[in-house]
Amino acid sequence: MINFEEELKKFHPSLEIDETEEAIYNEDLTDVTEVLIGMMQEAKQQK
Amino acid sequence: MSMYCYSCGCRLSEKDFCTNCGADVGLYKKILYAANHFYNQGLERAGVRDLTGAIISLRQCLKFNKNHVEARNLLGLVYYETGEVVLALEQWILSKNLRAEKNIADDYINMIQENPTRLQTIGQTIKKYNLALSYCYQDSVDLAIIQLKKVLSLNPNYVRAHQLLALLYIHREDWEHARRELEKCKRIDAGNTTTLRYMKEVKNALDLQAKARGESGKRSSYSDEVVRYRSGNEDIIQPSMRRGNSTVSTIINIAIGLVIGVAGAFFLLFPARLSSMNTEAQDEIRDVSEQLDRKTGEVEELNQKISALESEKAKLQNDLDNFVGNDGTMLAVNSLLQAMCVYMQQPDNIDAVSKAVEEIDVNQAAAVESQNFQDLYKLLLEKAGPSIATTYYEAGMESYRKEMFDQAIEELSKAAVYDTTNGDIYYNLANAYRKVGDDDHAKDMYKKVIDEFPDTEKARRAQNILDEMTATP
Repeated sequence: MINFEEELKKFHPSLEIDETEEAIYNEDLTDVTEVLIGMMQEAKQQK
Repeated sequence: MSMYCYSCGCRLSEKDFCTNCGADVGLYKKILYAANHFYNQGLERAGVRDLTGAIISLRQCLKFNKNHVEARNLLGLVYYETGEVVLALEQWILSKNLRAEKNIADDYINMIQENPTRLQTIGQTIKKYNLALSYCYQDSVDLAIIQLKKVLSLNPNYVRAHQLLALLYIHREDWEHARRELEKCKRIDAGNTTTLRYMKEVKNALDLQAKARGESGKRSSYSDEVVRYRSGNEDIIQPSMRRGNSTVSTIINIAIGLVIGVAGAFFLLFPARLSSMNTEAQDEIRDVSEQLDRKTGEVEELNQKISALESEKAKLQNDLDNFVGNDGTMLAVNSLLQAMCVYMQQPDNIDAVSKAVEEIDVNQAAAVESQNFQDLYKLLLEKAGPSIATTYYEAGMESYRKEMFDQAIEELSKAAVYDTTNGDIYYNLANAYRKVGDDDHAKDMYKKVIDEFPDTEKARRAQNILDEMTATP
């Protein structure tokens, strides 16, 4: 049985078009390769 | 897809180290392979309309390799297809920053930004959706439904709006409408878990409803009292029609329809057709009349021409006849020419010339209007006239003595034509007339003798006879 209130909480307001720029800036673009490179550099430094 | 060293940027070979800088790239390459794998998965899922699954895979790909331009472009497309325009723009802008040249993200961005109307519509859609959501939080379900319907009219592919609307219908237990919205969601995004969950809930509710009504769970109900069916977004409920005697009523209806059709055709179409036929006939008649008038005019003109030609022909015929000489004019000319010819060949042969001149009819010669003819004729008469006159005079006198007075008149008359200087001819001619009882001509001749030959014996005798004739009643 679906709970209306609970389901409603899952719906969030959409970003407006003028908020696009801010959203892009706030986007976390770190990927696994960067993590790996960071880890390798750390390991080298520790050596 | 080519791989480049994370350290020096050189293109990597199949080795696990960079051939340029020597960096260990074994693990790095595995990460890139994993990113490509998730990209392929996302592409496959997008191909079968599992857009939610595609989003998950593509985001996973980008987590492994944020520089995967193709994954970003595809992710943007998928977001756009689900109605999330801002998220789509985000991905395309990031993609363009990663690769500025030869990037299809450029076209996608221009497609949205260059059309101000579309941009405005997108903005309105987002605002209305947010407004509908706020209505939902305020428990104003009806207002929220109205706003969501407006949103979906502007952006029919907006999956979240469909889901929210379906949720509201579920909350109102309007299962049919909810089912419809969820069907639309499924058409756009087949793998969305929220849609599938709601759909399961709705189907269960509809099945329960159908069972409660005692039917097997068909969507459209058909009872004895009412018929319920869908037309677009509307539910139609109407009383059912009785099926009894359907064949007979069908035949009767067909017959009535035929009668109405024939009557309609007769009263509506026939007059118009008749009128048009009349018009055509009248046009034809008018054309024929015009042609007839034209022909009549031509005939009249030709008749006039014929009359003119006939009168001209008659005139020419007359001229020709005159020229040829039905009354002897041509003959007279021929005779004169012949006489002239004889005279020129034998000028001293008076007999021959006389004969030739005698051939010329005196009356015909007199009718010729040519002066030359008359001059020539006169010349010949001077030459041959006296001789001819003598011959006729002697013949006339012979006839007179034989009391053949009519012949004497004829011969003496001819003699008078050829010789007008011989009084005896006129005197004896007068006597001949007197003998036959033609006193008038006799008197004329006697007068001629008296007038033209005065102081002669003939004139004196003529006068005496004339006096006797006048005295005698």
